[in-house]
Amino acid sequence: MTRSIIATVCAALLAAFAAGPVAAQDKPSLTVGAIYVGSVNDYGYNRAMKDGLEEMKRNIPGLKLIEAENVPESAESERVMEGMIQQGTKLIFATSFGHQQFAFNLAKAHPDVYFEHAGGWMQAPNFGNFFGATQAAWYPMGVAAGKMTKSNTLGFVVGVPIGYALGNVNAFEMGARSVNPAAQTRVVVTGGWSDKAKEAAAANALIDQGADIVTMHVDSPATIIQAAASRNAYAIGFQSIEAAQLAPKFWITGLGFTWGQFMTETAKSVMAGTFKPAMVRQGLGQGMMAVAPFGSAVPPDVRTLVTASADRVGQGFNPFTGPVTDNTGVVRIPAGQAWGGEQMGNFDWYVEGVIGKAK
Amino acid sequence: MNPALIAGIVAGAVMSGTSLLYATLGEIVGERAGIVNLGLEGIMLIGAAIGFAATALTGSPYLGIAAAAIAGAAANLIFAYVVVSRRANQLAAGLSLMFFGIGLSALIGRPFVGALISGLPRLSVPGLAPGGIGARLLSYDSLVYLALPTALLTWWLIFRTRWGLSLRTVGESPAAAFAAGLSPELVRYQALAFAGLLGGIAGAHMSIALTLTWAEGMTAGRGFIAIALVIFAKWNPLWAIAGALLFGGAEGLQLQLQAAGADVSPFIMNMTPYLLTLLVLILWGWRRQSAAPAALGRTFVGVE
Repeated sequence: MTRSIIATVCAALLAAFAAGPVAAQDKPSLTVGAIYVGSVNDYGYNRAMKDGLEEMKRNIPGLKLIEAENVPESAESERVMEGMIQQGTKLIFATSFGHQQFAFNLAKAHPDVYFEHAGGWMQAPNFGNFFGATQAAWYPMGVAAGKMTKSNTLGFVVGVPIGYALGNVNAFEMGARSVNPAAQTRVVVTGGWSDKAKEAAAANALIDQGADIVTMHVDSPATIIQAAASRNAYAIGFQSIEAAQLAPKFWITGLGFTWGQFMTETAKSVMAGTFKPAMVRQGLGQGMMAVAPFGSAVPPDVRTLVTASADRVGQGFNPFTGPVTDNTGVVRIPAGQAWGGEQMGNFDWYVEGVIGKAK
Repeated sequence: MNPALIAGIVAGAVMSGTSLLYATLGEIVGERAGIVNLGLEGIMLIGAAIGFAATALTGSPYLGIAAAAIAGAAANLIFAYVVVSRRANQLAAGLSLMFFGIGLSALIGRPFVGALISGLPRLSVPGLAPGGIGARLLSYDSLVYLALPTALLTWWLIFRTRWGLSLRTVGESPAAAFAAGLSPELVRYQALAFAGLLGGIAGAHMSIALTLTWAEGMTAGRGFIAIALVIFAKWNPLWAIAGALLFGGAEGLQLQLQAAGADVSPFIMNMTPYLLTLLVLILWGWRRQSAAPAALGRTFVGVE
């Protein structure tokens, strides 16, 4: 409801800009539109998107970027994007999962405008999609946590227990156990991607149960990192690599999306008329995922180990190579097999060493 | 059950029960004057946003709380004007107030998303080992410590003062109050200003003390839980203390059980607070209610 009100206001503002005089400015080399589901100041998902788009803007002289925040995952988003097209936008980044259908509708109506959607699957000559491959990338985060923990207990706050999120937890625990066989990961599910009060309570509950490092898969890591710091517990971030500044003293490292290079290449392909729709998924070492800078508490040998682990993942190491046993002792991935790609959404179990129930 | 789990459940109940208690106490005073305010959720959001913004701007969480309280009272006075002076339907006006609060708080909070504040400081009982169970149980911010005195003060105000007598009279029968020489309008304005004050503080506790974040819609329905708590508490501030702890505890309990590795599906876990709400309402429903103010929700159109 709120979001639709704001989106209406945004749309009205866009319309006002469109009607205003623009003649004074030089014609931009390319006008790119971007819609965000939340605020770009969230230290999380939307921040990571914003950083990528800013990098694209820096890389291409004369590029004009039109943005709208808090755009709901409803037909409102279609109106906001339509407003952007009215202003001459030739490339639109629809950055939230629920924007997919609305962006796709517009792609059919405007064959001369190109669309890139984050996280979806739809394809058209002028519609592609992209996302970071997160699961294996969590493995080095686990290495960092496994080395840094003194209690051998790690805490993981999960917003919604979808398969991809459980896969993140699993790779994290596998990484931790690779350097510290005693390391366990306790999981708390809050039931929403952005319920701040529950996130704070979940972090506290994990610390009560002995966790000295807390990490998360929610929209914005801000509340959890600060709640952990208030009880002298360390944090590993996710979504944006900028989250360190929330609690520099208690920051270990983090995993973030880095989309700048892909966005730059996409914009250039639109300018050159060579846009090719594709379903792009990239992990560590491939461009779309990166390890955040280390906090001051992390000693050099741990940094070396984590960096080496990240490089290994970048070179194709897959933690989900059998045999992989779940936390009830059942072999889920037999020896000789490996899970990858689309299978990352299929997790409904936790690996050995995770304390929690998946379903 | 390990001691850390029990300490965590209690501390969690106190922390998340605090904002519920302030909101419930405010709503009790308003309803004692005969006004149902379904806009409490909006008032809390305005308090959360303005409290956070003022803290971020001034660096003082205490100024943040003051700003939230004033803003909550001001917003509730708008509601008072609509339902008391303009005699609008309370339910419709309350829902409008809620949507107004959601929109206004989003607008005010927008520039402050991601702002870093040092929240309300926690005051610990001296001499407790840091990280121990004692420190977990006795380390709260000042609004937590003030919640209990506020409940007692509200009880005293309603049941032991002349103003409280006027308040209850207006809530039972505005016409009788008018005949006795009281001004029902004035008493209702005063009651709603007090309710808004507490509602604003309730929201500020969530943003300034609990989460140190502003996010749109962050009260997530707690304003409505507070309205349900008024019925649970039978319009009595002392019962509201128990209710707020119970409902605050229900949410913390399931998160604590998950962290402790309880062998229960997280989907069922996340339902427990609502199951408990239903259970309590069912059990409570068997007793005949006579505590509700007789004129609750009715528009007083005057006696001339």
